[in-house]
Formats: sequence, structure tokens, C-alpha cells
Amino acid sequence: MSDSLLWYTTRGAGAVTLILLSAVVVLGILSTLRVQSQSWPRFLTTGLHRNLALMTLVFLALHIFTAVVDPFTNLGWGAALIPFTSYYRTFWLGLGVISFELLLAIVATSLIRGFLGHRAWRAIHWLTYAAWPVGVLHGAGTGTDTWSAWMLAITAGCVAAVGVAIVLRLTGGSTDPLATPRTTFRAAVDRREPQ
Amino acid sequence: MTRLLGTADDRLPLARVDGRLIETIHQAGLVGRGGAGFSTAIKWRAVAERSRRNAVIVVNGAEGEPRSQKDRLLMATRPHLILDGAFIAARVLKARRIVLYIGEAHESARQAMLRALGQRDEPERGLVSFAAAPARYVAGAEMAAIHFLNEGIATPTTTAPYPFERGVDGAPTLVQNVETLARVALIARGTPADTALLTLAGAVRQPGVVEVPFGTTLGEAVRLGGGATEAPRGVLVGGYFGSWMEPGEAWPAALGQLRLGCGVIGVLPASRCPVCETAGIMRYLASESSAQCGPCFFGLRALADASSHIAERGSSADDLRRLQRWATDVRGRGACKHPDGAVMFLASALTVFANEFAQHEAHDAREVRRSA
Repeated sequence: MSDSLLWYTTRGAGAVTLILLSAVVVLGILSTLRVQSQSWPRFLTTGLHRNLALMTLVFLALHIFTAVVDPFTNLGWGAALIPFTSYYRTFWLGLGVISFELLLAIVATSLIRGFLGHRAWRAIHWLTYAAWPVGVLHGAGTGTDTWSAWMLAITAGCVAAVGVAIVLRLTGGSTDPLATPRTTFRAAVDRREPQ
Repeated sequence: MTRLLGTADDRLPLARVDGRLIETIHQAGLVGRGGAGFSTAIKWRAVAERSRRNAVIVVNGAEGEPRSQKDRLLMATRPHLILDGAFIAARVLKARRIVLYIGEAHESARQAMLRALGQRDEPERGLVSFAAAPARYVAGAEMAAIHFLNEGIATPTTTAPYPFERGVDGAPTLVQNVETLARVALIARGTPADTALLTLAGAVRQPGVVEVPFGTTLGEAVRLGGGATEAPRGVLVGGYFGSWMEPGEAWPAALGQLRLGCGVIGVLPASRCPVCETAGIMRYLASESSAQCGPCFFGLRALADASSHIAERGSSADDLRRLQRWATDVRGRGACKHPDGAVMFLASALTVFANEFAQHEAHDAREVRRSA
């Protein structure tokens, strides 16, 4: 019973991770688009983005921990941390490891953003666009429940939500309300020789 | 007491210095006189550790603080002493380059520095170049100076990287205020640097720069400027990024116990309205935002709006609540320290002038503008 409990937990936590991570990605994109309304101030987007991201890691840790300690899978910690070293579904599991490690780097650099500087932080944060699809592929490729109707619905929903957000991001253009005042101020303290 | 002002700017042979000078500076307790008041020894140590004979020394004479006069006066009267400090820094920190970053409006200061440099010998003279700092508030900020020298635009950038990690041309960089460097030169000569340069402003009989030992009280320092012209209502210590104090609290305080910032001491007379004065300064600080981040551009504008509302239309509980809340919200969230300085100033005004802010009656809008 406890063995199957571990196995169900692995699968459940994996599905929850997918939902949470997709929500985090969507919220991240919405915050760059400066989406807001009367009942949804912008700090809510960034606050949710951050808190759900931390929660994602908790479920991801649960997903990995239960998979490794499950005596039936017999994966070992090496396979959980080093990509493509698992005897079991080497490729698909390796994708999961890569996605996990990218997310870890993204969260860790966000926590120390003040020390790191904005540019480096942002460069690493862009890796989300790699971590998320790799994670989705990992789930689709190796998920026990991939082809069950409910999991198909979850995956399709997540892909659609992130897809729509990305399209909005690509077509939205700059909505930076500071663009004009910033240009004005910079011009006042700009002493470069005219080209 | 070794004075900076009123002493001939003799060119003495440079003291022989090495890394041990940093320890001497540390023991002298020297802190930066540009505003932030950061420990000079810590700053030097950070650059010294990273310099591979490639460090850059930026001599900061931008002095963009509206009421401050002391840096341009020191540059005009003691250019050799400042150059000594810069050359000493270059030796101790193994620098290959010195940039004199002088406010574009400070013409006589620049002339004096140029003249003094012309009297120097090679190879030291060859290390030095000049840059004219744009006459804006943020241009004197360390990161703005580095951004300007690298890319020609004097807006502050985010830290990290810190100047000692990657500054001018990517090299470890020391940005140091001119008065601080002059103090270093005195310390290297074995003379104590136990005075401070202050700029007295506002309701003082003879506004301008005074030099006083650290043991002096603020009241005695203001008396050196002829004293206050009338009963004061508040004293602004440290310029626009400083703090308001009650006169009764300020006068007996010794300078060594205060955060002097850039050294501006503003005396607000009882005949002037502290709310209108504060609103005017907040408007100025908001207008000096380089609009790089929302907390600064929108936050300071909102704070300036709320203080002007109180100034122009009279006190309202709503505006006061907003001021208090936003002042806390903005803090620590800017891309640079500009919003932090502004809200610290505002917080001191809300404390010292709490009664005036709570009971203010509508004033003529013209007065709000005039005080700015």
C-alpha cells in the first residue's frame, strides 16, 4: 500500500507541478505585459508569480523525492540529478532532470537578484522558455497518465494558456509607460558626440 | 586642527604611501563626504583586492546637490590637495587612470583644477583626464558617473556589478568625493583630518561654506555663519537626501554624531511653511527621477502630488495616510537609491512637522512653487 502511495504521489505531484509551473509562466508574461484592472492590481501578478514559483518547487521536490525513494522504480539519486543517466526511460527522464535544474537555477538567481545584478538575472530568467517546454515533454513522454482523458485535458490546457500568453507577448509590443519620460531624461544627461 | 580652507594650497612632495595607508584611513574613521557617508577604508580595500594595476580613480566633483557649495569651493581653492589625494589613491590602489568628474556648471573649479594639473609633473599628469558631469541631481551618483564615463549617459544603473568589481572600462573603480580625497591627502601627510566642510543655507545671516571640527555642535557651526536670521522651525541636515531635525535637538548635537551626508545644513525659519517647503523639495526630487523604474518615477510623483495636495488644499486624512503608506512601499524598491533618499527625507518631514502636516490649511499655490 505504501509503495503504491509513493507512486501515486509521484504522478499526482508531477501533474500539479505542470499546472503550477504553467500558471507561473503565464503570470510572468502577464507582468511584463503590465496587465491590470480595478480588481487585479499589478503587484498581485508579481506576488502570485513569485509565491506560486516557490510552491512549484515544493511539488517538484515531492515529485522527485517520491520517485526516487519508491522501491519499485529503483532510480537512485544519481539518475534524479544527472541528466540521461537513468536506466529507466533514459531520454524522457533526462528531460525532467534538465527542466528541474533549470528551474532551480531560475529560482535561486531570483532569490539573490540584488547581488547578481539585473542583466544577469534576466538572462537566466529567459531560460524559463527552455525549462517549461522541456518539462512538458518530460511529462508527455514518460507520464503514466499521459493518455488518460483528464491528463490530456490538463496538458492541453497548460499548453494553450502558455501559448496564448506568448502570442500576446510577441504581438503586444512595448507597453512600457516609462518609455517617453525615460527618453526625455536620458537626452538631458546624454553628452555623447552626435554620430 | 588642520584646515582645508584658508590654508595655502602648497604643492608638497607626495608622501610615500603603500597599502598600509588604508589601515591609517580606517583608524582615522574617514567616511565619504559626497552624501552616502560610506567607510573610505572599506571602499579602498575592495578596489585594492581586485586591482591588477588597472584600477580607475574617479574624482567626484559633480556636486549636483542644489544647495551645496563646498565641493566647488574646495576645488577652486585647494586643487593641489585634491590632486594629491587622487595620486595617492592611484598609488595605493595601483590605478592606471584618474578621471576628474567635475560638474559642467562649476567653471572656476574646473579652471583651478586644470591649472593645478598643469603644474604637475609627468608621469602623474599623464594619468589624468577631465569629464564634465551633467548638471542634474543623479549625475553625481557613483553608478551614474561610471555609466557616464563608459557610455556618455549620466543615469545611475543597478548594482551589481559594484564599481569595485566592474566600473569604468570594466576595471575596478574608486569613485570618491573631492573633499574625501583632500582628507586622504592630509591623513597621508600625517595630519589629522578632523574637520568637516558644511554649506549653510536658508535662514542664515551669511549662507555659504564653513569649516568646523567634528566636536563642534550644529548650533556653533550655524553661529559661524552669523547665526539664524530669525527663530528657526526646523533644520535640514545633509541636504535633500538628509533629515529634518527639531532646532532644539539639532543645535546641541555634535557634528560627529550626525549623519552629515553632503554637508548641507538648511535652516528653515518659523515664518516659512514646512509643509510647502517639503512639498517643493519632493516635487524637485520627483522631477529628477531618471524614469528608469516605476517605484521611482510613479512613486515619487505620487508622493509629490500628495504633499502638494496638502500644501495647496489643506490637510486631509486621506492624503496623509497615502503619504505614510507610499513612503514605506517605495523604499528599497528602486533600481537605484534615488527613491530611498527621497522617502527618507519625506519620512523625517512627516515626523518633525507632524503637527503642521496634520493641521495645514490651504495655501496659495504660488508659495508651494516658490519654495522649490
